[in-house]
Amino acid sequence: MRNILKAAIGAVAMAAMALGATAPAGAETEMDEILQRGELRVGVQTQGAPVSFINKNGERTGLAIEIVKMMADDLGVKLVLQDYDWKGLIPALLGGKFDFIAADMTPTPQRTAQLLFSRPFFYQETVAMTAKDSGRTSWQDLNKDGVNVGGVQGGTYVTAIKEFLPAATVKEFASGPASAQALAAGRVDGALTDLGNARSYVGEYDNLMILDGVITREPLAFATRAENGHLKFWMDNYFELISANGKLDRLVEYWWSSRAWEADHK
Amino acid sequence: MEHYIDIFQAVLPSLLEGFWRTLGISLAGILGGSLIGFLLGLVRGQHIRYFTPLIGGYLHLLRGTPFLVQLYVVYFVLPNTGISLLMWDSLTAVLLCLAIYTSSYVTEIVSGAIRAIPRGQWEGAFAIGMRRGQTLWHIILPQSVMLILPSLGSVYVNLIKATSIVSVVGISELTRQGEINILRFPGDILFIYAIVAMIYFCYCFPVLKLVDWLEKNAGRQRAARKRPSPTPGGSAPLNEPNVKA
Amino acid sequence: MTFLEPVADWIVGVYNFRIVALYADEFARGITNTLLAAGASLALSLILGTLLAALRLSSNRLLSALAEIYIQVIRSTPLLLQIYIVYFALPLLVPATARWPELWIGILALTLHTAPYMAEIIRSGIQSVARGQIEGALAVGMTFRQRAQHIVLPQAFANIMPALLGQTAILVKDTSLLSLITVFDLVAAGMLLNSERIKPNEGFLSVAVIYFAIYLLLLLASRFVERKLAGPAWNKATA
Repeated sequence: MRNILKAAIGAVAMAAMALGATAPAGAETEMDEILQRGELRVGVQTQGAPVSFINKNGERTGLAIEIVKMMADDLGVKLVLQDYDWKGLIPALLGGKFDFIAADMTPTPQRTAQLLFSRPFFYQETVAMTAKDSGRTSWQDLNKDGVNVGGVQGGTYVTAIKEFLPAATVKEFASGPASAQALAAGRVDGALTDLGNARSYVGEYDNLMILDGVITREPLAFATRAENGHLKFWMDNYFELISANGKLDRLVEYWWSSRAWEADHK
Repeated sequence: MEHYIDIFQAVLPSLLEGFWRTLGISLAGILGGSLIGFLLGLVRGQHIRYFTPLIGGYLHLLRGTPFLVQLYVVYFVLPNTGISLLMWDSLTAVLLCLAIYTSSYVTEIVSGAIRAIPRGQWEGAFAIGMRRGQTLWHIILPQSVMLILPSLGSVYVNLIKATSIVSVVGISELTRQGEINILRFPGDILFIYAIVAMIYFCYCFPVLKLVDWLEKNAGRQRAARKRPSPTPGGSAPLNEPNVKA
Repeated sequence: MTFLEPVADWIVGVYNFRIVALYADEFARGITNTLLAAGASLALSLILGTLLAALRLSSNRLLSALAEIYIQVIRSTPLLLQIYIVYFALPLLVPATARWPELWIGILALTLHTAPYMAEIIRSGIQSVARGQIEGALAVGMTFRQRAQHIVLPQAFANIMPALLGQTAILVKDTSLLSLITVFDLVAAGMLLNSERIKPNEGFLSVAVIYFAIYLLLLLASRFVERKLAGPAWNKATA
């Protein structure tokens, strides 16, 4: 018994030492830091085409990736991409692992309370997928007791399932591909994702289809830490610029609205 | 059949790339973990006031929580303290985490091996005027090495397997590369997982066999002496290192 | 009292327990599922482990070799990979398993993973009973059943108890990986808090503390058993 008490006290002492006291981080602005170190560090995830994925040559590409590549080129710095699980993106950003998140992230009220989002670069449409032989036609068909619907842990699809499919049971997956995989394996009855990803998943898994109707529409933006005001305005300005000169539209057309990218990357 | 050969050729390069990273991470982990574990084990093996119980707390803390949770804590919680020293990049954080995880096992093995040497040898060495450090280096450690080596092999296999978990935070090691390739060939998920499993097997199995061989040989040399673990061949109890891989 | 305020502020800043309290129900659900998964896997892996141990000790070469291959394959591959294979690929082989609740799938994967370790423990336990005792029992005319019931099993059980508890502690920790296949376990509860409130400290530290508490309880149990069953195997060389 005494040994256990000792173990517990020792453990608490170790934990307290590990946590330590808080101290302020560096003083200069984050843009200076990026330019000085000559590296733009960006957190991304690998949720599959067309936002961020590994192409046939083993290179990372996609809509979000091509935008940050342009950003780094224009700043004249090296681009360092860090691949995370979806749920790990925000904690890692808050932990200072990289400068900002470039993913298909929606600025929800809860997230914006913690993070600083750029202006939206795109509006995505949330849709539902199901198995071809399920006999379902529209996303409302998933709103039944005993129906399992997959979404990404901590993502807005999970929120959408709870809001628009209240009768269904939510199953939270670590990533979009995992939920598509589980759907294809028959582990769940439906999965929510955005139209762009859904098109690519049904292209890959022959037994899946997209259900009729758009469930909800959401803006997508890049996110940085609350104190990175300079970087936020820089990103806003950047999206303004590439919207005006048409570069953003061309990227969205190539990656999202058409399947033109498949010829080059699949 | 041809289909499988095609898939195999398509996925193998990136899986091997993942394997090299797994290899690098596990080697760095065992080196770092052995270093920390060896130092802590030296201290713990000798009953030094304050330090021995503190190290005990460290071991319990590491052994009482899952590696996945440790990884999340090192990865997401420590940088959140605002201390810039704790804001590692992802690879450093993962390596640190694996080294700490490994050190908890190594510490217990080293201290156990030191304690397994009869007390009388220390007393004898002191009696002929040797200092503590000299006794350790010339008398105790040479005898402990054969006790340490087999267990260290088991720890290494445990570590290799634990590296698969770092895929969860996006390090593109073998398991992660497998997932990425499944995205390219979703229909062949079972086949791709089988290749990944085979690569792990080719890495771990020889180490396990080496451990068995070392255990047998070490056992023959000191057949009369007691073993540090009371259950040869099985997992050790809670208050002993759980190192059987 | 006043000097305590900054301390309290600091604690709430680092770890806001009020937010954790809001998630008490989720944590309770998570703990229940974690313990359920660990308990069920423990029972099932003991059964499968006994079977594997029997196969390995059997005189049938083929059965013994098959058991050996299974044990080595499981020992040489990561648990996470095994869980993924069972979760994502099993329905391809056995379509009926597609509709199993994910907790069952998790228990199945953990059982398949833990059984070989249990088999090794059980085997070493049976072999730990000194040959002379069995010969002695034979000499006084005991039947196989009597030998097993009165001589071998009680001692084997006492001898493997510490290893068994150690493996149980590992099993409890292994359940944490089930969160990755949508089982709502302890880690998933912490993850939910973290993703809804974006509070990594509150999410992950709570999970770590609860796991540690479960571990301390197991440690307590093992000390208790150690006293109750004190036998030759407990006289540790490291004392």
